[in-house]
Amino acid sequence: MAAPDLRAELDSLLLQLLGDLEELEGKRAVLNARVEEGWLSLAKARYAMGAKSVGPLQYASHMEPQVCLHTSEAQEGLQKFKVVRAGVHTPEEVGPGEAALRRRKGPAKTPEPQSSEAPQDPLNWFGILVPHSLRQAQASFRDGLQLAADIASLQNRIDWGRNQIRGLQKKLKQLEPGAA
Amino acid sequence: MRMSPEAAGRTAHARSGVRPTGSRTAEAGLRWLLVLWGDLCLAAGMAGRGKLIAVIGDEDTVTGFLLGGIGELNKNRHPNFLVVEKDTTINEIEDTFRQFLHRDDIGIILINQYIAEMVRHALDAHQHSIPAVLEIPSKEHPYDAAKDSILRRARGMFTAEDLR
Repeated sequence: MAAPDLRAELDSLLLQLLGDLEELEGKRAVLNARVEEGWLSLAKARYAMGAKSVGPLQYASHMEPQVCLHTSEAQEGLQKFKVVRAGVHTPEEVGPGEAALRRRKGPAKTPEPQSSEAPQDPLNWFGILVPHSLRQAQASFRDGLQLAADIASLQNRIDWGRNQIRGLQKKLKQLEPGAA
Repeated sequence: MRMSPEAAGRTAHARSGVRPTGSRTAEAGLRWLLVLWGDLCLAAGMAGRGKLIAVIGDEDTVTGFLLGGIGELNKNRHPNFLVVEKDTTINEIEDTFRQFLHRDDIGIILINQYIAEMVRHALDAHQHSIPAVLEIPSKEHPYDAAKDSILRRARGMFTAEDLR
C-alpha cells in the first residue's frame, strides 16, 4: 500500500523538521551572543580610540571581500552554504632535491611577486596599532559569519522540509480522501 | 546434426542475453567515469569565485561584519552593505534590499530585525532559497523569534486538520 509508506515518510520528515528547528534555535542563541560580544568590543575600542574613530568614516574606498560563500546543492532544491576565507595560501612544499636545484640557480632571479589579489585586513582601516578590543570584535564577528552560514543552511532545510511535507500531505489526501 | 552438450550450452547462453565478462567491465568503467566527471564538475563549480554576504543594519552591525571581511566596494559595482541611519528612508532600505535579492552574486543577506520589520512585506514575498535572509538583533531591539519570517512560516504549517 502506498498510504502507509507515505505516512512513514511523513513522520520521518516531521521528526527531521523538529530536529532542525531545535538546532536552529540553539545556533541562533550562539549567533546572537557572538554579535552582542562584538558590539561590546566595538564600544570598548571606541572608548579607547575616540567616539568617531570606529565607524563608517573609516571605511576604505576600495574593499575586497576576505570571506566568500560557497553553495552546494545536496538534494533537489536544497542549498547548503559554506564560508571560505579567501587569500589562505598553503605553504609551498619544497623537497630536498628541489631545494638543491634552487640554490644552483643562484640569487639572480627576483622572487616571484606575491599574489596581488590578497585582500587587505579591514583592521588596517582603523590604524596601524589598534586596541585589542577591536581585534576581539573582529574575531566575534568572524565566528558570527560562520554561524550565519550554518543558520542559512538550516533555514533552507526547514523550508525544503516544509514543502516536502505539504506535498506528501496532498498526496495522502488524494489517496485517502475519507480520512481528511 | 546433433549438437554437443557444450555447444548447446554456449548457444543457450548466447540466446539468453547474458553479456560476456568483457562488456560488464566496460560498463562499470563507463559508470565510474560518469561519476568522476560529475564530481569534477561539482568541485570546479565550488572552486570558482564564491558568493558574497550582504548586510543591512545599523552602524555597529555593519562595521562589525565588515571587520569580519565581507565588504565589497569598487567602482564597478554597488556595495554589498547599507548603513541604516536615522534619516535613511524606508524606500531606500526597500530598494537596496530588492537590489540584493536580484543580484546573483549574493548568497546571504544579514538584516537587523527592526529594519526587517520595515520591509516585512518584501521579506515575506521572497520564497527562493538564494539569497537566504537572516534576521539578527540590534543593540536596541533584541531578537524576537515570533517576528522571524522563516519561523512564522514553519509555525503556521500545522493546522488542526493536518494533525488528524
